[in-house]
Amino acid sequence: KELRGWNIHVEDYPVSIAMESFAAEVAERTDGDLTAKTFHNGVLGSQPDAIEQIRLGVIDFGEFSLGPMGTSIPETNVVSLPFIFSSIPQMYELMDGEVGDAIGAGMIERGIVPLGWYDAGARSFYNSVRPINTPADVEGLKIRVMNNDLFVSMVESMDGNATPMAFAEVYQSIQTGVVDGAENNPPSYESTSHFEVASYYSLTEHLIIPECLCMSKVSWDKLTPDQQTIVMEAGRTSANLQRELWQAREAASMEIVQAGGTVVNTIADKAPFQNAMAPVYEKFLADNPDLADLVNMIRDAS
Amino acid sequence: MGLTILMLVFGMGVVLGVPVAFAMGIAAASAFWFEGFPMLITFQRATAGVSVFSLLAIPFFVLAGEIMLRGGIAVRLVKLASALVGHFKGGLAMVNIFSSMLFGGISGSAVADISALGSILVPVMKERGYRPDFAINVTVTSSIAGVVIPPSHNMIIFAVAAGGGLSVSKLFLAGVIPGILMCASLAIAAYVLSIKHNYPSEPFPGWGEVARAAGAAIPGFMTAVIIVGGTLSGVFTVTESGAFGAIYALLLTTFFYRSLSWKAFVLSVTGTVRTTAMVMILIAFASSFAYLLALYQVPERLSNTLVTVSDNPIVILLMINVILLLLGMIMDMAALILICTPIFLPIAVGLGMDPTQFGIMMLMNLGLGLCTPPVGTCLFVGCAVGNIKIEEALKTIWPFYLAILGALILVTYVPAVSLWLPSLF
Amino acid sequence: MSGLKSLIVRSETALTVVQRASIFTASVALVVLVATFGWLVFGRYVLNVTPTWVEQLALLLICYIAFLGAAAGVKEDTHLGVTLFRDMLPDSAQKVVIIGIDLILAIFGAVMFVAGIALMKFGWDSFLPMLNIPESFRTLAITLCGALIVLNAGIRGLIRIVTFSEWHPNPILQES
Ligand code: NA
Ligand code: NA
Repeated sequence: KELRGWNIHVEDYPVSIAMESFAAEVAERTDGDLTAKTFHNGVLGSQPDAIEQIRLGVIDFGEFSLGPMGTSIPETNVVSLPFIFSSIPQMYELMDGEVGDAIGAGMIERGIVPLGWYDAGARSFYNSVRPINTPADVEGLKIRVMNNDLFVSMVESMDGNATPMAFAEVYQSIQTGVVDGAENNPPSYESTSHFEVASYYSLTEHLIIPECLCMSKVSWDKLTPDQQTIVMEAGRTSANLQRELWQAREAASMEIVQAGGTVVNTIADKAPFQNAMAPVYEKFLADNPDLADLVNMIRDAS
Repeated sequence: MGLTILMLVFGMGVVLGVPVAFAMGIAAASAFWFEGFPMLITFQRATAGVSVFSLLAIPFFVLAGEIMLRGGIAVRLVKLASALVGHFKGGLAMVNIFSSMLFGGISGSAVADISALGSILVPVMKERGYRPDFAINVTVTSSIAGVVIPPSHNMIIFAVAAGGGLSVSKLFLAGVIPGILMCASLAIAAYVLSIKHNYPSEPFPGWGEVARAAGAAIPGFMTAVIIVGGTLSGVFTVTESGAFGAIYALLLTTFFYRSLSWKAFVLSVTGTVRTTAMVMILIAFASSFAYLLALYQVPERLSNTLVTVSDNPIVILLMINVILLLLGMIMDMAALILICTPIFLPIAVGLGMDPTQFGIMMLMNLGLGLCTPPVGTCLFVGCAVGNIKIEEALKTIWPFYLAILGALILVTYVPAVSLWLPSLF
Repeated sequence: MSGLKSLIVRSETALTVVQRASIFTASVALVVLVATFGWLVFGRYVLNVTPTWVEQLALLLICYIAFLGAAAGVKEDTHLGVTLFRDMLPDSAQKVVIIGIDLILAIFGAVMFVAGIALMKFGWDSFLPMLNIPESFRTLAITLCGALIVLNAGIRGLIRIVTFSEWHPNPILQES
């Protein structure tokens, strides 16, 4: 049986390499009974569509950000809260532990079985106007955000002008001033060339949204218990590989953008930003009282 | 096997005359059924195919064009063209082609062009002694300019099909010179034929009249300037520019020209709905269809085959052009752009071709398909407008085909034709 | 004309009403679409607060314009198709093919309707970002389109069957 996999990235991206290694390990350990073909470059549709397809069992496996899963799986929305994780290592630790299990349980309920948590780094603001050091620096800036209420209220709670916009339009929009900036991780900031038009990159690291190599529950249920073990273990191995590749890629991207003249600033004290997010958390918990335990589980870990 | 079912059902549907959009949908549904996928995936893909942000520019461009057409802007453009180029040999043919260049700068819809300009110019041409087939052929072939001259909703569809990384402004700029080139070669063909048939030229009305016609036409032509300029300057995104262009055209024709009646407004809106729905349903089911092509890895297989036939870029590009021409003869543009781009774009890029240049080449090529039988929407509409038989028009259309092919070859093999203008910005 | 036959033929009038309602709804959606984009640009440049719901609402409206318009197009017979090969057949064979296509479209419409309902059930607890309404509101367009195609193509097929001897497969050719 050949499994079909969805991936949005180009073939030499950390995620893509890790997915190929997942496929290779599965094929090898099942003696070719189970093979996997990954369709890179998003040829099988956009991310939200692919999430629906994996739930329907049309795609067997795929690698998704937990961000866009939030519209159909409430538990995954928790990691889209700004500053929910304090660092990348902490995110690894929690996602590999009971936090990951709790989120995974929500995913399984909606037909998606997580196999391994991938790294997508931390997202930071970039813009063409000024470096951001305090929340007040965001005031009045037109910032492109992904389509999610949380990100809109995140920017609005700092009095910025949140502008949801299709990703493909961002480069030109910054270049011509339709928006002042956006926010993303270093490899995206670099590979989209956004650094050419938005030269202030402020390492707010406000969002640490893990990604996930997952399998369709429909396909998962068709595997033998042995195959399930192999697939699960191969998922874990591939996650470790991906995290290593990601760190290297992130460092390389930072070098490129700095060589390209980007002004990078780190944030000495993130507390003012975190405090500014209070209304975001308040509204989220009021709307999702069921998720309070999960939010606290992450916030109480240190 | 699944691929065979997909192709067989689609082919049978087309041959029997099932509307192409539904033939694709039915073929996709059959293949999904064969693969054991849930049936709703056909329609999930269809909805996803139309829920694409960039595609929202389509109804806006179409609406702007409809309002210009029904609000009296098209007539003013024709008057300007008459004043400027009417005094050449075969003057009305030149007016026809030049009007298409101006009007194409607004609607991007070849069919709207034909019904707008054809219904104004063809009767006048017949009256002045032009052969009906000549009048129709000039109208039909020059209407293709609207596909390449910006703004053009087919460019948006191409940008979406190419994966969203392509700049629409660059495509807009890249289409200008090929569009003018195409009109110029059509004008040469029309000129030669006019000498042969001794068609008349119109008297030059004097520079005062030119100025007056320009004064009346320029506010209308500003619609195009707003759409293209808004996009290029980045004040608006493409979609917003389209919406703004439509709003501007509406305000202009209502309050300035005072030539848009309530009835004309309603016709513009319902006309836009019909055109948009026709294009969108093609896009919708082409998405289901293209999804299966990707799943069966047709692009990879086809490009491997093409590369084994020849490794000469000139030959491969020629083959791509011939395949597109043949497909363009039997299928409509929007669906073909969506299906063929993922197949041929990687091959062309592999040969070192710029994706933008490929896009212009493809649009021109498929545009020619709009004027050829057996499926040539423009040809059909043109013949209906001129009230002549398709066979009659076809007998004398070949000089115009040659003219477009000449321009197409230049666009294919001379990158600067499409890429020079965008390189200045 | 027998009672059943005249009933089938008269249902054409009802279909015209349904078709006009589809076009009307889609037209309203188009006008709202244009107006909200005007508001978007106004909000961003004048108020410096971008209305965040415009984009997602637009993506919802375009589905209704596309699918309602397409269903009306089935009634109006405006969808592009290749009739060249069919036209080579003798008239009565052409008529059989035309009726066959009506019925195929009606079946496809039925599949679309059923799949639309399934999609609506599936999407009931997924939410459209920024609008916070169930995804099912988007797929409702599919369901409606399916139902309308069943009506438009199915009833037209029935009318063509009961009046088989009274129509010409290619009305344009008939005139010239
Ligand atoms: Na155009
Ligand atoms: Na013309």
